[in-house]
Amino acid sequence: MSTEAVDFDLNRLEKGRSLWQDAFSRLKKNTLAMGGLVFLLLLIVLAVLTPWIAPYSYEEQNLMLGATPPSAEHWFGTDIFGRDQLTRILYGSRISLMVGFIATAVALCIGVTWGTIAGYIGGRVDALMMRFVDILYALPFTIFIILLTVVFGRSMLLLFLAIGAVEWLTMARIVRGQVMAIKHQEFIEAAVAMGMSRPRIMFKHVAPNVLGPIIIYTTLTIPSVILLESFLSFLGLGIQAPQSSWGSLISYGVETMEEYPWLLIFPALTLSMTLFALNFLGDGLRDALDPRVSKD
Amino acid sequence: MLRIFLQRCLSAIPVLFLVVLFTFILIRLAPGGPFDDERAVPPQVLENLNKRYHLDDPIHVQFFDYVKHLLQGDFGPSFKYPSRTVTEVIYAGIPVTLELSLYAFLVALVFGITSGVIASLKPNTLQDYVPMSAAMIGICLPSFVLGPLLILVFGIQLDWLPVSGWGVTPGDKILPSITLGAGYAAYLARLSRGGMLETLSQDYIRTARAKGLSGWRVVFHHALRGALAPVVSFAGPAVAGLLSGSFVVETIYQIPGLGRFYLQAAFNRDYTMILGMTILFAFLIIICNLLADLLLLWLNPKLRGRK
Repeated sequence: MSTEAVDFDLNRLEKGRSLWQDAFSRLKKNTLAMGGLVFLLLLIVLAVLTPWIAPYSYEEQNLMLGATPPSAEHWFGTDIFGRDQLTRILYGSRISLMVGFIATAVALCIGVTWGTIAGYIGGRVDALMMRFVDILYALPFTIFIILLTVVFGRSMLLLFLAIGAVEWLTMARIVRGQVMAIKHQEFIEAAVAMGMSRPRIMFKHVAPNVLGPIIIYTTLTIPSVILLESFLSFLGLGIQAPQSSWGSLISYGVETMEEYPWLLIFPALTLSMTLFALNFLGDGLRDALDPRVSKD
Repeated sequence: MLRIFLQRCLSAIPVLFLVVLFTFILIRLAPGGPFDDERAVPPQVLENLNKRYHLDDPIHVQFFDYVKHLLQGDFGPSFKYPSRTVTEVIYAGIPVTLELSLYAFLVALVFGITSGVIASLKPNTLQDYVPMSAAMIGICLPSFVLGPLLILVFGIQLDWLPVSGWGVTPGDKILPSITLGAGYAAYLARLSRGGMLETLSQDYIRTARAKGLSGWRVVFHHALRGALAPVVSFAGPAVAGLLSGSFVVETIYQIPGLGRFYLQAAFNRDYTMILGMTILFAFLIIICNLLADLLLLWLNPKLRGRK
């Protein structure tokens, strides 16, 4: 048999596309998700640059001015102490976003580690670890967080840790399910056969392959964390004056909403639009990364 | 079947015990005694107070005393208001909070499932997009934004409904119930739409249609039952969310329920009050999760095989 020369032109070959390129091209077609992404990036840039671009100081009071409706000098109006509301919302977004990202990172670390270990080792360890998650699931966490703020005082660090400690449960469940599905595949067997250590397999080979669901769920965790922080600040249990977060701004706004509705409307709008953006992005990512469940 | 039911019920008991233990220890860890005040209390008085509330006993004795009283439905005295007990406050608040949560849950069920089913019947058409967009708005408008907005529009601008109190003026229960239920209606709409879409693509639905059953009969009799499993498993956590959501709604609408008392106790650092109410909330939520679990077992016989 003679091997025929094949007309083989590398340049004419269709370039292979990775899963991620594929997902990103699908995401780009989703206008809502891309809109959400752009809005979030813009918000993050504004929040980072706030100390340099904020038009006024967030705590400096101007009692002579008092509460004024939106104007050319104060785009979002001023509060009863004459503080510029745009500035306060910008500083609030630093806090809200920071809580959102840090607490989600805490949840991510605990949840992924817990879920990977439980799913990979399996058996009795898995049963025990997931039973623990089930028990925690049944507890009234919002109430425990309030309890913690009462006992240990109101600190930002506590807020981060407490919220992160609540949100890791679902992450652990999702990761565990995915790990169970992956661990019997050939490339894991190959790694075992090559004599790789267990922790190395878990975090080098198993965890990265669960990245899709983790990314999706992370994007959906951030809004619920931001919401929880605003909820606590609204009740007066989160961020303390003179600092402001969206929740505490809304709570001030509610007190005076009949006379000065703009004090409620602008922070409420900012919070809701951020939640919209994050949810749209999360939904878009889910459709993009997991084509099977997307749009029926 | 009965055995599984009993097993589930029994497994809730250690969880409850752990909750009581954990809360009790946490409260005891709190810096400062319950009688720390701005003005100094004479040591003799402090000692008497400690004796009256049995704070001079060893901690494990205090704990078992507390559990013993709990089992008799007694939550002990309030530290801040010597004239009333925690039990009295709880009995005053609990009917209000439960009623509010119940109405909100009904709002969520009726609006959520209806719009989810309607959306699922014609996916990716206007009939799908309109209710699902509404659901997205419901998820992104937290109750502390929705509540004030409803007050502004229906209470102040239009002056249709009262905006504070509970059971005082007619119609004052409408806005709080909607405020608390809206977010859950939105979640339920998305869940029931997803469940319906999955069920409607199953073979037995095609069989039912092939047999010539009417569209509505297929939807209600065959599809809905299968589609509601995710809704039921969401119901347990939803009740937990409703109970803690009542904190905000009761504050906004000035409703004298448990949530408002709990916040007052938190600000006053009234430790026994917080302890009692945390345990009560935990109890309610664990019971609700248990009920949802049992309902799920009853609806889906396939789950019964598993432990």
